[in-house]
Amino acid sequence: MSAGSPDCAHARLQIGGDPQELPPEVAAHLATCAACTRFREETLALDGRLRAALELPLSEFRRKSQAPPVRRFALAASVALAVLLAGGFWVLKPRSALAGEVVAHVLEEGGSWDQTQLLPPAAVADVLRTAGVEFDASLPVVYAYACPFRGHRVPHFVVQTANGPMTVMLLAHEQVSKRTEFSEHGLHGELLPAGSGSVAVLMRTGDVPEDLAGKIVSAARW
Amino acid sequence: MNQSPRGTTADAPFSHLIEMLRPDLLRFALWLARDRAVAEDVVQETLIRAWKSREELKNPSAARPWLLTIVRREHARLYERKRLPTVDVDAVEALGDPALASDGDAGLHDLRSAIMQLADEYREPLVMQVLGGFSTAEIAAELKLTQPTVLTRLFRARNKLRVIYGLTPAEDAE
Repeated sequence: MSAGSPDCAHARLQIGGDPQELPPEVAAHLATCAACTRFREETLALDGRLRAALELPLSEFRRKSQAPPVRRFALAASVALAVLLAGGFWVLKPRSALAGEVVAHVLEEGGSWDQTQLLPPAAVADVLRTAGVEFDASLPVVYAYACPFRGHRVPHFVVQTANGPMTVMLLAHEQVSKRTEFSEHGLHGELLPAGSGSVAVLMRTGDVPEDLAGKIVSAARW
Repeated sequence: MNQSPRGTTADAPFSHLIEMLRPDLLRFALWLARDRAVAEDVVQETLIRAWKSREELKNPSAARPWLLTIVRREHARLYERKRLPTVDVDAVEALGDPALASDGDAGLHDLRSAIMQLADEYREPLVMQVLGGFSTAEIAAELKLTQPTVLTRLFRARNKLRVIYGLTPAEDAE
């Protein structure tokens, strides 16, 4: 695609520099130039991919930068032993890639479990708006953030329950075919189908309360 | 820093903000530094500096750009202070990192690699704009450049990435 006139060259420079914020003369030029309009549409599409690319999965970086091999073996051995002692049957459960990434993400934001102050509804609504998700459940939310996850912004909440803090991730872009339990790094969780998306719930202590999981699934809309 | 600074009850909202924004800070630092260890150092220095000057943050909604600006300055300062060598594009260690991979999306992996290989003068304003949400004017002020220069660098950065995305680059009177 080539810029046919000085106007087009100026427009391409402005679009390539910031496709979201165009000066008035470029906006006016677009109304009369199909080629530059197409160039802008391409650039906006590229920016969508750029945003997804820039939101690196930090958990992968964290894993690779862990301790030297000797310590890693010791850590692996102790984790394996702890898992076996905690309940060998969990070891036999297949772990999906999605579950692994959810666990890694939650571990990355480990401080989220320590929050105790209830968030105002406006803060929760802000996160939902950022992620483009609707969620009706009136739960006591103590942590809320629209986290980058698999190339999308995903609402990540921690809610208080009778069994301790529970993480909820509303995964509008991830489908699971059936309810799947998983256990890893001391976290017990479930992936639950929810319409065209899914919901991940995790707890550090005990199992996810059945009624609460159902309530969360029915409250999420994409 | 593996835990956010803790202080009085009045400091709790600030700690909460820091905790929520920490992944964003680390991600931003990683794109600037292209090295995990350096990025983690930068974020650590940022959190210390932010904690010391937390009174300056009057509006919590401005926390993200405020912290990202500190990240950028700390990154620049680290290179000045420690006289770190600039990273050779061919030796960008992060290029082999599994974090650049994306399940079943080879295009995203290629795009990440291409961004990693952009020269600093193109990568920094691009990351500030697309990931950091800074305006062209804010980037110009922060990098001490004119707005037309920033605009040109952003145009050239995207032009290089258009090829990766399978698009024809625009003409550039370089």
